[in-house]
Amino acid sequence: MNRNSSRRRGTAIAAALLSTTLVLTACGGDSEETADTAAAPQTRSVTGGNGTIQVPADPQRVVTIGNTTLPFIDMGGKPVGVTEVGASELALIPTDQKATFDAATNLGSSGDQVDMEKLAGLKPDLILAQLPASEFEGIKKQLEAVAPTVFWGLDVEWKALADGVSQAGDVTDGLGEQKAKFQEKIAKIQQTYSAIIGGTKFVNVDRWESSDPGTFSVADFGCVEIAQDDLGMNFPKAAAGEDPLGWTSLPYEQIAGLSKYDVITYPVDAAGQPKVSFAPVVATNTWKALPAVNSGRALGVFCPGNNSYGPVLQYLDSLDTALATLPAKQ
Amino acid sequence: MLRRRRFAVRLEWRPVVVCAVLALAIAGMAVLALMTGSYRIGAGQVVSALTGGETGLVHDIVVEWRLPRVTATVVFGAALGVSGAVFQSLLRNPLADPGIIGFSQGSYTGALIVILVVNGTYLQLVGGALLGGMATAVAVYLLAHRRGVQGFRLIVVGIGLSAILRSLNTWLILEADLEVAIAAAAWEAGSLNGVSWNQVLIGGACITMLLLLAGMLSRPMRQLELGDDAAASQGVRVAPARLALIVVGVALTATVTAASGPIAFISLVAPQIARRIARTAGITLAPAAFVGALLCLTADYIAQHIAPTPLPVGIITVILGGGYLGWLLFTEARRRL
Amino acid sequence: MTTLAQRHDGPGTATVPGPRRRLTGLVVALATLLILLVLSVMIGSTAIAPSVVWDALSNPSADIDQFAIRDYRLPRTVVGLVVGAALGVAGALIQALTRNPLADPGIFGVQAGASFAVTVAVGLLGVRGIGGYMWFAFAGALIVTLMVLALGSTRQGQSPVVMVLAGVCVSAVLGGAGSALELTNPDAFDAMRSWNAGSIVGRPLDLVWPILPFLVVALVLALAVSGSLNAMALGDDLAAAQGVRLTRTRVLAIIALTLLAGGATAIAGPIGFVGLMVPHVARWIAGPHQSWIFAYSVLLAPILLLASDILGRVLMRPSEIPVGVVTAFVGAPVLVALVRRKNASAL
Repeated sequence: MNRNSSRRRGTAIAAALLSTTLVLTACGGDSEETADTAAAPQTRSVTGGNGTIQVPADPQRVVTIGNTTLPFIDMGGKPVGVTEVGASELALIPTDQKATFDAATNLGSSGDQVDMEKLAGLKPDLILAQLPASEFEGIKKQLEAVAPTVFWGLDVEWKALADGVSQAGDVTDGLGEQKAKFQEKIAKIQQTYSAIIGGTKFVNVDRWESSDPGTFSVADFGCVEIAQDDLGMNFPKAAAGEDPLGWTSLPYEQIAGLSKYDVITYPVDAAGQPKVSFAPVVATNTWKALPAVNSGRALGVFCPGNNSYGPVLQYLDSLDTALATLPAKQ
Repeated sequence: MLRRRRFAVRLEWRPVVVCAVLALAIAGMAVLALMTGSYRIGAGQVVSALTGGETGLVHDIVVEWRLPRVTATVVFGAALGVSGAVFQSLLRNPLADPGIIGFSQGSYTGALIVILVVNGTYLQLVGGALLGGMATAVAVYLLAHRRGVQGFRLIVVGIGLSAILRSLNTWLILEADLEVAIAAAAWEAGSLNGVSWNQVLIGGACITMLLLLAGMLSRPMRQLELGDDAAASQGVRVAPARLALIVVGVALTATVTAASGPIAFISLVAPQIARRIARTAGITLAPAAFVGALLCLTADYIAQHIAPTPLPVGIITVILGGGYLGWLLFTEARRRL
Repeated sequence: MTTLAQRHDGPGTATVPGPRRRLTGLVVALATLLILLVLSVMIGSTAIAPSVVWDALSNPSADIDQFAIRDYRLPRTVVGLVVGAALGVAGALIQALTRNPLADPGIFGVQAGASFAVTVAVGLLGVRGIGGYMWFAFAGALIVTLMVLALGSTRQGQSPVVMVLAGVCVSAVLGGAGSALELTNPDAFDAMRSWNAGSIVGRPLDLVWPILPFLVVALVLALAVSGSLNAMALGDDLAAAQGVRLTRTRVLAIIALTLLAGGATAIAGPIGFVGLMVPHVARWIAGPHQSWIFAYSVLLAPILLLASDILGRVLMRPSEIPVGVVTAFVGAPVLVALVRRKNASAL
């Protein structure tokens, strides 16, 4: 996510704070961790956000922290320990994956609330983690004392994360196939709907449990990034360096403003019904009065996740089906 | 009441005994905390790890994870107890603590701005929290200052500013990503997860110095309790003494907050419990420190073991401390009425 | 009477204002409220022409802008009016009851109870959507206040001081338990962070109507006990000598207070400062007479709430700031100013 402008704004304060805090921590000595990789002869090196790490060639006991859990399971991995995932997210994954998730030991919520001793008790040989860098910093030393740890920040693109997780976790088998399917699907959609993609102004709207009642957002993150970046569809996007549009919650009266777009995409569940948190928007009179909604140009699209190929492929299928329903233009 | 205390002040042996008993209890609790954890290590191994006889993960868990955490709870708890004692004495109000002058909310605002706006590192977060808390405390002090600072006005201005900041914090949280917001909320709850020797040693050094300062200020503090005029007549320079006490009280809480996030209620409850078990008439520092340490240690032990996954210690202190203090005040008020 | 007036009021109001000044003030307040009601329908985060606004109300059609007026601005205006009035009178009640000008309706644990109930509903029972939250919040507020009331009852009846302490204690415990639940349940956390901000947006009127009768009953109760509360302001003994039945008055006042604050919180989430501040302003204008204070609070509180809400709509266009955040920013400086006034130490 782009937070460059705010970062600039904060640089001066940050510098001042940093100098204070550096003084505070200067006295502490870092005790070196003993790397016991010597015991495991078969290692590979993989690169993550925390540098190049020696990981076991064939990791047997993997712990996943934060956003690595669902992608790792999606690629066929079976983690021994995982951090908490919200019930709403879990409801979207296939049942066999849900079973894998449930079989793993729950280590608490991600970040600095991870139950370290329980994690150590699982005797993992590899830890995969994606979480805010500031949180990782706090638990880095402890994690690395337990097992080789590969970390990715939140700014890593999903494809890179999928590649990284599959390499580090040695779950490359399914990945090649998934990637091929992805390319194929992208090509097919681009070819089938080239006229629509080229000449249509799309807008993607969303609403989450955390949204204030009576508000929605023009969402420019999540699955829509794939439609935008990989398919080249024309969705509104935040200017470079600005906060994502989706962070701004808009009151319902601004639903009227959506009439300037040709096609609206909105989130639905696997059964095609509007997502529970989005349903209030669909129920408004303003939504029903939108020209796009009246003429069948509001498309419900299912997005079970955008962190690995499995859910992304499901999304593309759903988008494909939805685009097919568009009334033929001209 | 006050007269009796003045006669008895030199013969007070009860607080000394109470402190000794509390120290024993703290030691016992500390041993228990070192021995238990979800990673099973036998008692023998724990002892040998403490004496340097273990290497690898067992050494790390006992010496690098559990020991700093236990040390932190004791030291931080003591600091919070003393900080609360100073504030309650100063404001002559059993409900006063540094949180009341906006420190906790201010430090949360600082931390949130670092997490959400600057997207900063852990160190910046600590700095932001300190700066936010201190700035709020200074703002409250200045706003409440009108020909001197009067306790009641300080509390009311503190409540007002806290409320603004609480709204601001709610709003900042509302604007944030879920993961980031949860991380921030966990920090706000006050957690000792992953406390390292770095934090403990630096925090401990600061706290030791501040505790010594507080000890030196305890005589003027007691005299201020009798009223500004009475204190002045005994040669206390009222304004500087009060400012010094506020600074020490805030700095103690600030140090703890920087390392662990705000741990609620210990500063509020510890002096009250201490006063009751030591049966002193006023607020005393040493028993408050010991009670604070024991409370913090016990609360953290409960926090680690009560739920399937560990909770932030601050949640336990809120529930236990809030409940206990409420019950205490309430039975007392009930008896009086 | 005079000692009380001096205790509660700022300088220059030691003499009780005459009925004429009170009445003029009331008319001015009513006019201001009417203007704000109109403004609240006219002003929003999108620009809609006044003629469309007029048509939306007088000549309804399926025009998309008209829906914005009828479906969003009108309901939030009504909700602001109702919630504001309830909070204002609740604040006046609790300040009269505790004889503490700094008491807030939240002090008996109303908001903590509502908040905790919603957390449980979301986290453990899987309830979603504002309609579901509303009844849990209302029930939570009522149950917790009853608990506080039971805890705060002494042999001599309900002591406000003990009740406040009981409220503080229950609020703290529930707050801790609530955050434990939130931190271990990301979905609950997510839902609670918007609920906790306090807002009057997106509360469809058909969800609000069922709560309204409770508020009306409570308002009537509040007015009914205002005379007795007036007498009690002079002290329990004096009031008893005048024939006021202390326990009955307190219980009725607490019931009214709970319904008002609980209902308001159920609809809008926790909104601070309105209940604290408005009765003060009412007291400055009207002097220490409960019926007048109630009358003023009924008008002044929606004024504050609607003005804050309108401000929240335009400050960060196209987005909005929840009204609970705005009232704190408007209210807290007033509180600080209040304390810094000359006679403030006597508060």
